[in-house]
Amino acid sequence: MKGLLRNNLYATLSNAKIFSAFMILFGIFAVAVISQSLQIGYVMIGFIGFSVAAITVAKNEFTSKWGKYKLSLPVKRAEIVKSLFLNQIIWLLVGTIIVGAEMCLSWLFHGCPFDQPIDILTMFALGVSMNLFMGAIFFPMFYIGGEEKSEVLIVISLLCAFGIDFAIVSAVNDLLEPGTVCIVSGAIILMIGSALAFALSYPLTVKIFKRREW
Amino acid sequence: MENILELQQVCKTFPKSNFALEDVSFSLPYGAILGVVGENGAGKTTTIGCILNTIAKDRGTVKLFGKEMSDADTGMREKIGVVYDGDNFPAYWNAKQLCEIMEGLYSQWDHSLFWKYVEKFQLPVKQNIKHYSRGMTMKLAIAAALSHHPQLLILDEATSGLDPVMRDEMLDVFLEFVQEENHSILLSSHITSDLEKVADYITFIHNGRLIMTVSKNDLVYNYAVMRCKESQFLALDPKDIIAYRKRDFQIDVLVSNGKEAQKKYNGVVIDHVCIDEIMLLLVKGERV
Repeated sequence: MKGLLRNNLYATLSNAKIFSAFMILFGIFAVAVISQSLQIGYVMIGFIGFSVAAITVAKNEFTSKWGKYKLSLPVKRAEIVKSLFLNQIIWLLVGTIIVGAEMCLSWLFHGCPFDQPIDILTMFALGVSMNLFMGAIFFPMFYIGGEEKSEVLIVISLLCAFGIDFAIVSAVNDLLEPGTVCIVSGAIILMIGSALAFALSYPLTVKIFKRREW
Repeated sequence: MENILELQQVCKTFPKSNFALEDVSFSLPYGAILGVVGENGAGKTTTIGCILNTIAKDRGTVKLFGKEMSDADTGMREKIGVVYDGDNFPAYWNAKQLCEIMEGLYSQWDHSLFWKYVEKFQLPVKQNIKHYSRGMTMKLAIAAALSHHPQLLILDEATSGLDPVMRDEMLDVFLEFVQEENHSILLSSHITSDLEKVADYITFIHNGRLIMTVSKNDLVYNYAVMRCKESQFLALDPKDIIAYRKRDFQIDVLVSNGKEAQKKYNGVVIDHVCIDEIMLLLVKGERV
């Protein structure tokens, strides 16, 4: 497992290095400028960008025979899938740290960047859930559709994640009175729902991966 | 003789491509090199896929070290080194990263042995694999396959694309590897001269079917081609004919014992046969 995680780390780093540099520069700009929409954009780009960087690891492995070669290594197929899911979580944490740091600096210099502090919770819940829903949708689809369809599957998983988040937020807003309870409930449902989808996606992906042939 | 690898009636059908591997059976003894020969698309890689479980066979058994390998048998895969044709590793790695990753995968990974091979093969350590030549990537893959002390090497077209000097160098490495009596190599290739140099046994595959497995000594000392005229061909005992091919003015006939054929059929020209010619006769020729 250690080797698989290290492999995923190297694979993600090749994309994430450039993206991290972009996020730092964008972060400096977002901290300097007082703009709520810029803050929202930064949070969403951060979470989605790192999710895409982590997801593309699966695709990158098939630019060489490494994806096939891995099956001859002393690891189970379930461990290969687990390493991809863990990698997604690792880069979700990296995204959370970078976005959190920018948010803290913005607050430090200009005060709360949103209408009320609790809105930050919604933003983070949206970002984290987008990231997790993307992974939950992409990985099983990737092993069904194959590596050559990975680009379109990334777009589909992003759109699906956005759609699910939007549906959850809309449903919560319709069912509950506007206010703190509505915001907190929405954030909790987003977090639990996405975590559950991510957790359930793992055994499903393993099942699909075990049937794939190379 | 004990076998490190045994295939019995392995079948695999690919309905979309209409290709099928049919009843492939052969075995590889400990301490030997088995070459698998066949034209492109004959089923060599599919056979290797069935051995390594990258492809699920429809029927038959594949025994490695005496038992069938499942996904959970990670210990068994510790004892196998694999090299595929082309880029085995991602282009963004370098040799150092490859070593670090393999170290985390194989419990027997031998750091110093890997660097010994890297030095021996004169591979750049810090340069990304994408800057390697084809020969260098193959050398790196061979170094990685050898550095966890495997007992069985499975090489799928591992020498194709290498120049003759590099191929010779690699063949020496393989011969050194099988000096240990519990080490074996399965080497698929369509470069038959490589197999002639190192293989102990040769298996011919054509159109998904195993045509024959023969020891190299048998092939070199016994197998022969009879150059027959039409009348000589008609006089042959069909039992002696493995395959024949009509040419413009003669018929080439593959026989399993050239000396006996020489005694039995006076006046027929009999030549020694190389793997290439056997392959051509088996693939393009006809059977009785």
